[in-house]
Amino acid sequence: MTLRNNGLYIDRLSMNFGGVVVFEDISIEAPSSKVTACIGPNGAGKTTIINIVCGVFPPRTGKVYIDGVQLSGVRPFNTVRYGLCRSFQDVRIFPSLTAIENVLVAMPNQGGESLSGLFLPGGWRQERANRERARHLLQAVALESAAERAAGELPFGQQKLLSLVRAIATGARVLLLDEPAAGLESDLIPHVVDLIRSLVKAEGRATFLVEHNIELVRQVADQICVLQAGRIIASGDVQRVLDDQTVIREYLGQVYNV
Amino acid sequence: MEHLLYIGTLIAVWTIVALAANLVIGYTGMMSMGQAAYLGVGAYVTATLNILLGVNFYLALLIGSIIAAVVGAITLLPLLRIGGFYFALATLGINFVFFDIFHNLAPRVEGSEGLYGLQLPDLLASSAPRFATTVAVAIACAMLCQAVVTSPLGRALRATRDRPDALAALGKDPRRYQVLIWTFAAGLTGLAGGLYAATLFYIDPTLFTLDASILVLVYIGVGGLASTTGSVLGVILLIAFNESLRFLGLPSQFVGPFQQAIYGLLLILLMIFRRRGLVGKYDFTE
Amino acid sequence: MTILLQVLSTGVGLAGYYALIAVGFALIFGTLRIFHVAHGTVFMIAGYAFFSLHRLLGVNVFASAVVGVFCAVVAGLAIDKIVYGPVLRRGGGMFAVFIASLGAALIVEAGFLAWSKGVVSVARTGMLDTFIVGGVAFRAFDFVIFAFVAAAFGALYLWLHRTSTGLEVRGLTDNADLAAVVGVNVRRTRYAIFLIASALAGLAGVLVAYDTGLEPSIGFKMLFIGVVAVILGGVRNILLGTVVGATCLGVLTAFAGFLFPEWNSFTIFLIMIVLIIIRPQGILG
Repeated sequence: MTLRNNGLYIDRLSMNFGGVVVFEDISIEAPSSKVTACIGPNGAGKTTIINIVCGVFPPRTGKVYIDGVQLSGVRPFNTVRYGLCRSFQDVRIFPSLTAIENVLVAMPNQGGESLSGLFLPGGWRQERANRERARHLLQAVALESAAERAAGELPFGQQKLLSLVRAIATGARVLLLDEPAAGLESDLIPHVVDLIRSLVKAEGRATFLVEHNIELVRQVADQICVLQAGRIIASGDVQRVLDDQTVIREYLGQVYNV
Repeated sequence: MEHLLYIGTLIAVWTIVALAANLVIGYTGMMSMGQAAYLGVGAYVTATLNILLGVNFYLALLIGSIIAAVVGAITLLPLLRIGGFYFALATLGINFVFFDIFHNLAPRVEGSEGLYGLQLPDLLASSAPRFATTVAVAIACAMLCQAVVTSPLGRALRATRDRPDALAALGKDPRRYQVLIWTFAAGLTGLAGGLYAATLFYIDPTLFTLDASILVLVYIGVGGLASTTGSVLGVILLIAFNESLRFLGLPSQFVGPFQQAIYGLLLILLMIFRRRGLVGKYDFTE
Repeated sequence: MTILLQVLSTGVGLAGYYALIAVGFALIFGTLRIFHVAHGTVFMIAGYAFFSLHRLLGVNVFASAVVGVFCAVVAGLAIDKIVYGPVLRRGGGMFAVFIASLGAALIVEAGFLAWSKGVVSVARTGMLDTFIVGGVAFRAFDFVIFAFVAAAFGALYLWLHRTSTGLEVRGLTDNADLAAVVGVNVRRTRYAIFLIASALAGLAGVLVAYDTGLEPSIGFKMLFIGVVAVILGGVRNILLGTVVGATCLGVLTAFAGFLFPEWNSFTIFLIMIVLIIIRPQGILG
């Protein structure tokens, strides 16, 4: 766990809102090609970590590094430029765009998105290539048949999958997924697993996800950390952490009826 | 026949205005209630250059369009930080601000409120060629707008309309698209303004008031938001309807008020029953 | 110096009208989030009714005034029931209501345009004694306006702070959603809001008809001045904020009218736009 030059590295982050300490001095590593999960009770601050990394607000202390470079000046609208992309718990897809358009609009560096690009042939070629890739991505979550349907008409679960695919389409090297399984029917969860395994890990991206669904974490994560009462109470290998007595007592006991 | 050609030319001019407005309002979700200001800028710049400085009309038209685009950008930039409803309110204010500007600063022919005396080129000088030319320009604009709308840019515009925050999270600044399309639309509207001046021969500030901006809204509101066909349809239907009122035999002082009442009624009915318009593809629920 | 005072006095005189319209508008917008463009139309209906009765039919001033205000109230309530109700019920948001309001205003204004047979102004129906104090001219009527405005706002204040419905209205200003949950009777409160706001606008309409006269477009003009006054004063405090806003605006327009007489609309709307950009919540918001 000492690879600091690739992926996401969170270094001694502390945060509080007013007098309430959210977390104190936490460090997390999410290396490339690996999935790092963060679990913990609601309100422990898991989404806050993502918000801080994406520049929604600054931490009280601590630093964030992407591929060894310290992040500064990142704001929610320029995260992709730093190689980061996040998904939201509430989906935020574009309802009037079709499913495939939702994916297409996420792809970077499109010549066709400017007025001059309308007239250059290169733009159209790029659009065709992008469409191919978008279809491929939709296939990975069994949404290809819904490609031309308005995203707003899709059921929540499919919208959630769409939002994950969209985040991936940005090409970001580091993905921050905020409860990707929340609200999904259990038959859709394997799609999330497939998506993360095939598209993300295979392409060498670093994934940091916060989750409540332990099953998903078990299937997909390479390493895990448990955030509780403002501190990381355990981290490391997935099975070892999940078997840890402290973790079971403090957190899993609430989630599982084990 | 003269009159029919005149109406046809007006339809062509207003179609360009409606197309531009729909780009901004229907496709990008920016409620603009001040399009008439840009129409006026285009009209006045073109007319002033041509009448007072003897500039060739085509060149004056081009410059008018460009100036209108610049004015569009300048008026938008301070408003970018404001959201939905207050933004609309501010654009509404723009009508009045520009009306006074036109009223006080724009040139006028001695002894009248307005400006006339355009030196028009052959293609625009008499009613039949003017009709053909303006329709040709309108068709070209429609094709251009359709190209924009079906391109990746069009997609980005609709994403800006739906959820600008999500677009930003994907690494694309929605403001870039907003400024781009607003400027483009203002330029198109300015172009229409110059052609409008050519069609009417006489322009004065009262042509470019809140009433005109509302008229544009009614055209695209009826025809359909976010639809090129809708923009054209709305203009044709309403101007034709307007003309048909002449055959009702109403005393002349009632015609204007009657039209206005119909527009008002249309707005209400649209808001209750069909916010997206006849063939529109966007239903705003804000 | 006397010029300054003169302009100031004119400004304060104008402020009375602006305040009446603005407070009504703020009442509706602040609680129900309805941008009631047709409020200006309600104002006009009262004015025209008053004029018709008093000037054309010779009915006495007070009875005409009462009927004028009554017409305004009926109009306001009717617009809410016939136009806003259906729009809201079918999923229209604030924006759709605004456009519908615009539609209603256009229809009524068209009616006035037709009725006046194109004649633009309604002749004034009252007298305007002036008297000079220290080189500054005051109009007797300004005191009348002031008296009415003070009485109306005094009554409004009592209503807002001493009655249960008034309390509910203040609750709505703070938080409409919470108010609905807590059990504020939104429908009854809504009637009360439209009734009072329209009555205030009606009072203004009658006074203006008596004082300066009416023309069909005055509804829109007064409405937007009211809007700017509300934006200036902020929506949080309906009475105080709006009165402050209206007074500032009255004085500002008086100065603008004096310094740049041809730029009235420009000044007012530029102020509005600047306010929207920098501080939409107003001075006291």
